[in-house]
Amino acid sequence: MLFPMTKPPQPDLLALVRDPIDQAALIGHVRAAEDGAVVTFDGCVRNHSHGRRTLYLDYDAYESMALAKIREIAAQIHEKFPIHLVAIAHRLGRLEIGETSVFIAVSSAHRPAAFDACRFAIDTLKRSVPIWKKEYFEDGAVWADGEMPPAPLETRAAKPAS
Amino acid sequence: MARHSSAGYNSLVSLSSQTARVKVLFFGRLKEIVGHAEDSVELPDGAPIEALFSHYGASHPELARFRASLVASRNQEFAAWSTPLHSGDEVAFLPPVSGG
Repeated sequence: MLFPMTKPPQPDLLALVRDPIDQAALIGHVRAAEDGAVVTFDGCVRNHSHGRRTLYLDYDAYESMALAKIREIAAQIHEKFPIHLVAIAHRLGRLEIGETSVFIAVSSAHRPAAFDACRFAIDTLKRSVPIWKKEYFEDGAVWADGEMPPAPLETRAAKPAS
Repeated sequence: MARHSSAGYNSLVSLSSQTARVKVLFFGRLKEIVGHAEDSVELPDGAPIEALFSHYGASHPELARFRASLVASRNQEFAAWSTPLHSGDEVAFLPPVSGG
């Protein structure tokens, strides 16, 4: 082995899951001897939305595309920031108040890269990964207002259907 | 996850032209409007995604109303509405995303 002090390269851990997210496992996955920082983001289910009391959420996803987009995010942050590893898990299905819907862990030798990469990852995920949440209230349910992913340029004028 | 349309077969074309069979997926509120998650449709080879959407918009006016807030995808990549479709393509109409 050429560099016995260095952990052999291991891939990022990127997953869509239906069971509770094992945060410790994600942190453990990215954390290594050469890292000076692990920054995490824990996205959790809030008990209110637009002034109404939320009972629970239900997440739907275009699973194959969502995973492909999460892989793109991982590739992007490796390109943009000097980080070591990233782990991203998004949960689908019914989630109760307080449960974690998305968890991101990024490791790096120095903290700025991990902070910046983690922020970039969650912001990009919320904008470009095809996942949808339905919010359940005491008096009904609505699909949450979302963000429109960046659409490719139209090569010819395509008229919206009237 | 997805189930096949009970309608099973839809056609946008006459039998004489060259056709393409594409898979269409619906998610979130669109799945609720259309009533199923997956469909298989035959259309003229090279027809744009827009034409496929119009096909569904005609039978589901509520779907057509969402057009301005939707983004299309072809084979799991965001795609322009003018993107031509060919046999084996997988198309989805994606409402604004709200993961996280």
